[in-house]
Amino acid sequence: MKLIFLILGTAGAILLSVFFGAADLSAGRTLQALMGQGREIDITIVRELRLPRTLLGAIIGAGLGASGAALQGYTRNPLAAPGILGFTSCAALGAVIALYFGFHQAVPFAALLGTALGAFLILQIAGPRKGATTLILAGVGVGAFATAITGLIMNFAPNPWALSEIVYWLMGSLKNAELGGLIICAPLTALGIALLLAVGPDLRTLSLGEETATSLGVSLGKVRALLIAGTALCVGSGVAIAGAIGFIGLFVPHIMRLIFGPDPLKLIPLSALGGAGFLVLADIVTRAMAGPGTQLYLGILTSLIGVPFFLYLAVRETRT
Amino acid sequence: MISFQNLTAGYGSCHVLESISARAAAGEFIALIGPNGCGKSTLLKTLCGIITLSSGRITLNDKSLRELPLKMRARNIAYLAQSREALPTMQVEEVVRLGRAPFRGGLGKISAAGETAISSALSRTHSEPFKARRFDSLSGGEQARVLLARALAVGAPVLLADEPIAALDPFYQLSMMQTLKAEAASGKTVIAALHDLSLAAQFADQIWLMHQGTILANGTPNEVLDNENLKTVFGIKLPVGGFRPLELAP
Repeated sequence: MKLIFLILGTAGAILLSVFFGAADLSAGRTLQALMGQGREIDITIVRELRLPRTLLGAIIGAGLGASGAALQGYTRNPLAAPGILGFTSCAALGAVIALYFGFHQAVPFAALLGTALGAFLILQIAGPRKGATTLILAGVGVGAFATAITGLIMNFAPNPWALSEIVYWLMGSLKNAELGGLIICAPLTALGIALLLAVGPDLRTLSLGEETATSLGVSLGKVRALLIAGTALCVGSGVAIAGAIGFIGLFVPHIMRLIFGPDPLKLIPLSALGGAGFLVLADIVTRAMAGPGTQLYLGILTSLIGVPFFLYLAVRETRT
Repeated sequence: MISFQNLTAGYGSCHVLESISARAAAGEFIALIGPNGCGKSTLLKTLCGIITLSSGRITLNDKSLRELPLKMRARNIAYLAQSREALPTMQVEEVVRLGRAPFRGGLGKISAAGETAISSALSRTHSEPFKARRFDSLSGGEQARVLLARALAVGAPVLLADEPIAALDPFYQLSMMQTLKAEAASGKTVIAALHDLSLAAQFADQIWLMHQGTILANGTPNEVLDNENLKTVFGIKLPVGGFRPLELAP
């Protein structure tokens, strides 16, 4: 029953997102446009703007939710999330370097490259036989380094326009979502989620601790490599298209855990579903709150919701 | 049958076990006895592949452990860790079901034989009454029994248990020792690190007495637990009249 609510909620958010926007289109006209009928402008708005934006939001949210659930399952640490373990910062650094040099078209690829390099670094530092704590430390360290370099680049931005472009991009938004982005993002995120789902059974066994899991046939090195590759694909492809969107990977798995229980194997697909619904809803809110000339950035909104939740978890952890 | 020759292992450059050899046959219950820090846990971890050996050779039914794929090793050697680690919010039965992880297929389905092994493990450890409860709602002793059930659920020919009765009250200490003895009697090899010399003497077929990373003495309880060995290893004397067996009240 809970699962049906989650599916219906996510589907509802996706439908709402397609039917809601700045252009005043009735539900009937939107439906017609969705099927390629009616006025050309309506078809363009619905099929080339709203639909890719909605689908991208859902896919990016799904990737962030799934990778957060997998990272929390692996580290058995409630504060683990792709943003906190450095993946988002590395992707952002790649994109910022491309923006700094004015290679706007290369931003998605630079973000993916940044994540890949960051993931490689984290994997090297975490090593094949070291524990989950080393992975957390490696991720936090690499992420802090990427953030520092991003700051340095912004410090030396060639002009205020370049700087503002970087700043706005770092706030995360789906406003530039288009079919091209969907074509890059969807397969990479799907592959990433598939890798994370593949490690799901081993994450379940890891809930008994690394030593017992090893005795039950879990290869820690393989789990770590698949986990990092899967997370890098999900986060990298998401940041590549929409910029840095934080905290979804942190709190969506927690909410799912509260509702559906702690099984990491089930939490990965459930958090993907929840992440998709949440990001699409958050995007609807940013669109609803945007006034003429002003824009509420998606990453800002998700962080505003996520930070109090993060602090709540941190306080709860220190008390137990 | 599991055996090891000239086994040297430890943590990084620190060798805890120094060139030790022994063998445990099918159907034998072996008590691993020794003071804190003598290498009991390190030996058990090395035998199930958690710690990589620096030199020497471990064989399972005359086949080198190194040649066994990870899953096959896990199906043949079950291990119960000393720490009582499990996801706190997990249901007891789910924890025990994890024992079947080495046998699970792609979608994680457990076979009929697996289901039987799980319910038998729950019942043999008296964990059935609280199988639907959360793991963190149990007492330390109950958690220890659930984790023993998890190790028994593997149904492996070799069971390595690190202090399986340390947290238990006298009734369950005796009861779990009987369970381990019955496990061995069913044709399996059971090696358990124990601190209770009396229970070890009562139940074990063989005792491996460890001292400073080596096996100082190896034989039946009567052969190993003498005054000289006890003095060398623990600095204690054999109780007057020897170790007395305990029995469950009728």
